[in-house]
Amino acid sequence: MSPYVLVLLLFTLGLGTTLAFVSSHWLLAWVGLEINTLAILPLMVRNHHPRAVEAATKYFLIQAGGAAVLLFAGVTNAWLTGQWGIQQATSPIFIGVISIALALKLGLAPLHSWMPEVFQGLDLNTGLVLATWQKLAPLALLFQIQPANSPLLIFLGLASTLIGGWGGLNQTQLRKILAYSSIAQLGWVVLVVQFSPSLATLAVLVYIVAAAATFIILKLVKSTNINMLAVSWAKSPALVAMAPLVFLSLAGLPPLTGFMPKWLIIEELSKQGLGPAATLAVLTALLSLYYYLRITYAMTLTMFPNNFSGVPPWRLRPLQLTFPLACLVTGTISVLPLTPAAIALVAL
Amino acid sequence: MLYCGNLLLLGVVVGTAAVAANPSPFYAALGLVTVAAMGCGFIMCSGGTFLCLILFLIYLGGMLVVFAYSVALCADPFPTGLAEGSVAKYMAGYLLLTGGAAQCTTLAPPFWWSVGQEADMSAMQGEAEGVSEAYGGGGIILISCAWALLVALYVALEVSRGSSRGPVRPIK
Repeated sequence: MSPYVLVLLLFTLGLGTTLAFVSSHWLLAWVGLEINTLAILPLMVRNHHPRAVEAATKYFLIQAGGAAVLLFAGVTNAWLTGQWGIQQATSPIFIGVISIALALKLGLAPLHSWMPEVFQGLDLNTGLVLATWQKLAPLALLFQIQPANSPLLIFLGLASTLIGGWGGLNQTQLRKILAYSSIAQLGWVVLVVQFSPSLATLAVLVYIVAAAATFIILKLVKSTNINMLAVSWAKSPALVAMAPLVFLSLAGLPPLTGFMPKWLIIEELSKQGLGPAATLAVLTALLSLYYYLRITYAMTLTMFPNNFSGVPPWRLRPLQLTFPLACLVTGTISVLPLTPAAIALVAL
Repeated sequence: MLYCGNLLLLGVVVGTAAVAANPSPFYAALGLVTVAAMGCGFIMCSGGTFLCLILFLIYLGGMLVVFAYSVALCADPFPTGLAEGSVAKYMAGYLLLTGGAAQCTTLAPPFWWSVGQEADMSAMQGEAEGVSEAYGGGGIILISCAWALLVALYVALEVSRGSSRGPVRPIK
C-alpha cells in the first residue's frame, strides 16, 4: 500500500477516536465511529486475500449496523427530549438501546459472533489495532451515558465473561482465542462501568497493555496456532520464557498486573451488593484461565519432539521494534504493586 | 395534488423493490435514482423545497455518482437486468408483500405534514440556517465530514484495487 495512503488511513483512525472522545453531541460521536470503521477497512484488506476481504466485509456490516442503531437512538432521543447531549441522556429505554448498539460494536456477548471470524481473517498487526484501538471509541461513549441500576449491562458483562471463556475452550487458532479473550475482558469492563467508571477505565488500560503484548509476542514468534507455538521457543527463548506470564496476567492471576482490575472489580461488585454476580464472574474467568494455561503449556512448559531441522534457527535482529514490546511486557507483569497509584490516577 | 403525491409514493415503493431485487449494483443504483427522484418530488409537494434540492445535489449528484464509478471499478461485464425472470419474480414478490402489508394497515397518508418549520412562510428557513451554521459555528463537524468523504474515496479505491485480478471481482 502506498505510504501516503497508509499515513492518511492511520491519521483518520486517530481522528475518528479523537472525535468520539471529545464530542458531547450524538452526531459528532456517530461521525467519529463511522470514520473509524471506514479507515480500518483498507488496512484489513491490505494483502487482498479473499479471507481478509471476507473478514473486512463482516466487520463493516456489523459496525455499520451498530452505528446506525446508535444514530437512530440519538435522533429519537433528540426528537423526544429536544437535546443532543451525550451526558444528558437519562431515559432508561434510550440508554438500553445505546448499550446494545455499543455492545454490537464492541463484540460483547450475545452480540459477539462476528469477533472470532473477523480476527481469524486478519494478520496479527491488524488484529492488534482491532482489539485495542477500535475498542476505545465505543468504550468512551459507554462510559459517558451514565447508566444507573441497569441489569442489561450486568447481563452483557456476565454473558461476555461466560461466552468469552467457554467459546475459547475448543479453539486451536490463536487469533480466535485472542478474540474470545477480548470478549471476556470487555465483559469485566462492562460489569463495573455503571458502578465505577474509573475502575472500568483501569480495566480497559490493563487489557490494552496485555493484549498488545500478546499480539506482538505472537507476531515475533510468527505463530498463529497452537502447533506453531510448540516450536516457537527456538525462535526467541527469552521472549517465550516471559510469554506465560503475559498470558497468565490476562487470566488474572496474582501477582501479575491482570489481577489488579479483577480484584478491584470484585470488591466493587461486592460493595454494591452483587455478590452472586461477582462469584459468577470469577467462576467464568476460570474457563478462560484454562485456555491461557493451554497456550502456556504448548509454548514454554513443554518441549515437543522435533527433528533435526527444528534445531534453533539463526536469530537475526528482528525487523520489528522491540522496545514497545519490552515496555508492554513489563507493564503486563510487574505493575501490581502500584495498585494504589493506579487507582488514584484513574479516579481523576 | 393528492394524486400526484400518491403517484410519487408509488414510485418510491417500486424503486425500493427494484433496489432490493437486483443482484447487479448498476441496476440497483438505477432503482436508487428512481427512489430519490420520486421521494424528492414528494418532499417538494409537502413543502420542503430546500431539502429536496439538497437531496438531488448531494445524494444523487454527489454520492450516487461516486458510488456508480466505484462500482464500475470492479464491474460485472454482463450484469443481470430487470427483465430477466429471476429478478422479476423477486420484484413481484416484494411488491405483493408491500401491497399486502398496506392493505392490512390503515395509516393516514401524511399529506398534511409539512417538511420544515413553515418552510414557505418566513424569510429565515430552518434548513438553510442549518447549512450556514455548519460553515460557521460547526467548524469541526464540517471539516471532519469533508475529511471522511475524502477518506471514503480512498477506501473505495484501495478495497477494489486490482479490479479483475483482486479478490473483489465478479464471479459467474
